[in-house]
Amino acid sequence: MRHWGDAPVDQASAAVSPLPGSNRMEQLVESIAERVVGLVIEAIDVNALVGKVDMDALLSKVDIDAIVSKVDVDALINRVDVDKIVSRVDVDQIVERVDVDRIIDRVDVEKIIDRVDVEKIIQRVDIDALVEQTELGTIIARSTSGVASEALDLVRAQGVGLDDFVARWVNRILRRKSDDWPAGPPALVAALAVAEIPPGRSEASR
Amino acid sequence: MSPPAAASGSPIVGRQGNYAGGVTRLVAFAADVGASWGAFTLAVAGITFAIQLVTGTKIDLTQGRFSALIVVVSFVAWEFVYFAYQWSLSGKTVGMALLGIRVVTTDGGSITGRQAVIRTLTLPLSFLLFGLGFIGILLNKDRHALHDRLARTVVVYSWDARAARLRWLANQDPASPV
Repeated sequence: MRHWGDAPVDQASAAVSPLPGSNRMEQLVESIAERVVGLVIEAIDVNALVGKVDMDALLSKVDIDAIVSKVDVDALINRVDVDKIVSRVDVDQIVERVDVDRIIDRVDVEKIIDRVDVEKIIQRVDIDALVEQTELGTIIARSTSGVASEALDLVRAQGVGLDDFVARWVNRILRRKSDDWPAGPPALVAALAVAEIPPGRSEASR
Repeated sequence: MSPPAAASGSPIVGRQGNYAGGVTRLVAFAADVGASWGAFTLAVAGITFAIQLVTGTKIDLTQGRFSALIVVVSFVAWEFVYFAYQWSLSGKTVGMALLGIRVVTTDGGSITGRQAVIRTLTLPLSFLLFGLGFIGILLNKDRHALHDRLARTVVVYSWDARAARLRWLANQDPASPV
């Protein structure tokens, strides 16, 4: 019994059958198919088609994490010969192309300086070692020292020593301890202490 | 020259800003009295010489009640200016600068002109009470004298002992151990 849809199926099966003359038929069908496909492609407005595609919806369906997790990054990196890449790079040529002045103009030096903790850096500097081991010591000696200033330092140091001596004896006579007494005006002592704590030493150990 | 105590790494190297003791303050005051007295004497001698040069008559300002009164009043005024002006200007007098101390407010700030004037005016009080006004320098934990208490000031070491140590280190032979 023949149905409405049976005829084309039968014709198609006849076209691909290995009977004499089937090759011509096949070529004919192929050329027709190519022509049809060409016409269809010409007729399609690809831009309009792409415009109709909801890319967001499409991308939302893509599980990027799953894709990335499948990638063996280590293996990928291992396959890259970094030395070979680097050897090909002409650093001098790159440097020559760089407009350093322009880069410097764009750098906000003030902002960088604001972020630098100068006090922390100064605390790390061993000034004693610096003065002893460099010409800085000689410069300081030449610029500031003299018999008068040395004598003045000596007198002042002796004065401080005598102050301590007297204070110690007064405390001993009055039988009191001055360990928890303030060394000076709180704000002044705190400000000077921050500047004077050597690296690696806490304030409590002073 | 043997190194000063501050230069030998003693605790004196971090004393800047600490309350100054009685000995240093006494020596500084003595230096100030000497300096102010010397300056006043020189000024009086200069004025006397100038008058003698202009008028041709020899004047002795210590003779006569009136001239003596003028000299005393001038001396008191000069002492007031000497101390009050220098304290208000930098918190230290010549003697205090020599000894490396200075006057600050009780919280460590610079003193005002008003405080300098009050401190100068009340300084004699510490003497007048048989020197008892100074006893606080020895007994109080913030080393307040009477005039300090009235003017709300304290005296601290302003001498940079660390710089003194650096100067001393700079003068040492690098090969020798410190």
